[in-house]
Amino acid sequence: MQLKTPANALRLGLMAATCALLSPPTTHAADAPEDDGPWQVDAGLLYYKENEGRVRTIEPVVNVRRNLGDDHIVGFNFAFDSLSGGSPNGAIAAKSKIQTFATPSGSSLTPGSGPQTYVSPSGNTYTTLAKVTLYTIQPGALPLDPNFHDRRISFDANWSQPVSTNVKGTVGGHISDELDFDSLAVNGALSRDFNAKNSTVSFGMNAELDKIKAIGGTPVGGSDYAQLLKTGSKSKHVIGGLLGLTQVISREWVAQLNYSYDRSQGYLTDPYKILSIVDSTGNLMAVSSSTAASPYRFENRPGTRTRQSLYVGNKVALGLQTLDVSYRRGKDDWSVKSDTVDVRLRVPISNDWYIEPHVRWYRQTAAEFYHLYLDQVDAIPQFMSADPRLAGFTATTIGFKVGVDLGGNNELSLRLEQYQQKASERFSSLLNLQGLDLNPSLKSAIVQIGWKMEY
Amino acid sequence: MGDAGAASGGSGITPQVVRRDDLTVAISFSAMASPCEVLLETQDLALAHELAGLAVDEALRIERKFSRYRDDSVISTINASHGKPIAVDAETSSLLSFAAHCHVLSEGRFDVTSGVLRRVWHFDGSDRLPSAAAVAALLPLIGFDKVDWQPPNICLPAGMEIDFGGIGKEYAVDRVLGLITARFDGAVLVNFGGDLAAQRAPASGEWRVGIERPGQHRSAALLLGLSQGALATSGDTHRFLLRAGIRYSHILDVRTGWPVPGAPASVTVAAGTCVEAGMLATFAMLRGAEAEAFLETQGARHWALRL
Repeated sequence: MQLKTPANALRLGLMAATCALLSPPTTHAADAPEDDGPWQVDAGLLYYKENEGRVRTIEPVVNVRRNLGDDHIVGFNFAFDSLSGGSPNGAIAAKSKIQTFATPSGSSLTPGSGPQTYVSPSGNTYTTLAKVTLYTIQPGALPLDPNFHDRRISFDANWSQPVSTNVKGTVGGHISDELDFDSLAVNGALSRDFNAKNSTVSFGMNAELDKIKAIGGTPVGGSDYAQLLKTGSKSKHVIGGLLGLTQVISREWVAQLNYSYDRSQGYLTDPYKILSIVDSTGNLMAVSSSTAASPYRFENRPGTRTRQSLYVGNKVALGLQTLDVSYRRGKDDWSVKSDTVDVRLRVPISNDWYIEPHVRWYRQTAAEFYHLYLDQVDAIPQFMSADPRLAGFTATTIGFKVGVDLGGNNELSLRLEQYQQKASERFSSLLNLQGLDLNPSLKSAIVQIGWKMEY
Repeated sequence: MGDAGAASGGSGITPQVVRRDDLTVAISFSAMASPCEVLLETQDLALAHELAGLAVDEALRIERKFSRYRDDSVISTINASHGKPIAVDAETSSLLSFAAHCHVLSEGRFDVTSGVLRRVWHFDGSDRLPSAAAVAALLPLIGFDKVDWQPPNICLPAGMEIDFGGIGKEYAVDRVLGLITARFDGAVLVNFGGDLAAQRAPASGEWRVGIERPGQHRSAALLLGLSQGALATSGDTHRFLLRAGIRYSHILDVRTGWPVPGAPASVTVAAGTCVEAGMLATFAMLRGAEAEAFLETQGARHWALRL
């Protein structure tokens, strides 16, 4: 038997369609709290480990975000990390001598140890550090401060909302606390859409105030390591701005261009980094033959740093794959110029799984006051640092991320990456330094587990 | 004169709130290029002001979001997408799906992409018909079947345009009625430019609704009683072209690009919701000479006016 189509089938269809249009769950009332999006939570655990007993860290991160309706978005980010392991103190390896260094700490000075003599009475304007932990470095080894230890808690909050047609405003704040460093920052940005939202221009400003309260006091930049001339806490501040353009170029391609400028002012020196002073043969300077108390100096950096960078990013859809390619050119008035190329390709491997290979290449030139070591014959420069982070180097990161969609907007991911940093200046021609790698390569591994969820 | 006052919504437009008689409060404002009116049976003027704010905000929200005349509307974004796929929000998605249903139900006669025909058709009462070539040139830009609609992604071919003009006002009436009745349990009637919906009968038994005499503002050709449900009218006695004794109505057949012959001057349909009533009236007009027969078949109460 054939079913008879009712004469008013059209109307029945229309009634059904009307019902679908007008009845819940269409969540679009102007005033309704039901317009709220769910809380979007990104939780992650990062494990970072450098080779040869250097720094390792575990960092849990939680990021929550919610659209409260009408594009009023609130977000919070909380991170805690704990660092430990050895960090290069800036001194170079010595071929045949055991080197002794001191880590400021809460523990008592070890009685009877040689370097006790380094601790000299304070001058009038400086307090003398009373508590240090000594460590020795074997000949040929890179001096790493094994007592490096820090923990950091940071909290960010931000709010964004439309401020008028096509204009969006964002304000945010950041506060973090480390054992020896406090930071407080605020930022604000405005962005405006043009050209039917195909172009977005944004302008942002940020200000940061940091307090450096180095353990055992903040060293006087450039002073003799053994004199332990220390002052109380120091501060620095950063003011910066950003100008950006995001442009939809085609249905497959979105490009972004950012220019940023920031200026730091204050105590920019690393309170724990020192430099070695060597004689013409490459041996550590003999203390007896000079007025110095030790063959090491605390580093000293200029009191201002101005940085500029230009960033070009592209997101390109290639069928089901997404390619992310970016380039950044950075430049500062310490003569550090950098180039970064970052490429990611997200490849779906099934309905639920994807894999995202990642390659990053980075190069920087050395700061103008960077020295592997100081030469006894030369005058001690005003500004100096042997911090490997201010050396010229190239670094590559290679890795991948795999993720699986667990349904209901839940996603689990695992990221594995390897980082390798190679300094451009590593060797010296001085007799007693020949064959020593004075700025050995740094290798590290990164493992990150991420969980994205909504509720 | 009754008590008059102004209620404020968050929208910047201030509705008039006027006590019309012992029982009824009238809220009036202007939105969607139409006079908008909400009648409430209540003694509570404070509540009336609050509901007035609600009504204005919702009407303006829908207008802002879906007007093709506003650069920042969702419709303008879609129309400026130049063939790029765009993901739309849940509300736009449900309206597009509704439009897709109506396109199928009307066998292609109702089409939200037909607005481009306005570029050549100007129904100003004159005799200036467009050339057949000009009309034909637009036909490739019309047809919802050319739109790639996979909720929530729409890909509108370059040059095509979408227009919710045939749905928006009726949709706003139903939405506003829904918002008000969620907070108010008395009798309500929402009337946006002649498309209206009512919930609960007033104490007098029925809402008295006049159908305008063609061409005469506020002069009722017919008085209807409505206790519950909606009325919507399609057709506009001012919008036509007249040439060689033939009257060309502004109801266009998207398949030819020319006016549907033989359509009534206007048709008013009663149905459960304003959206349904409006679509039935539009579908009927698109049937031309068979408008009334179509409504009979669908079992819809209707009042057609022919000149």
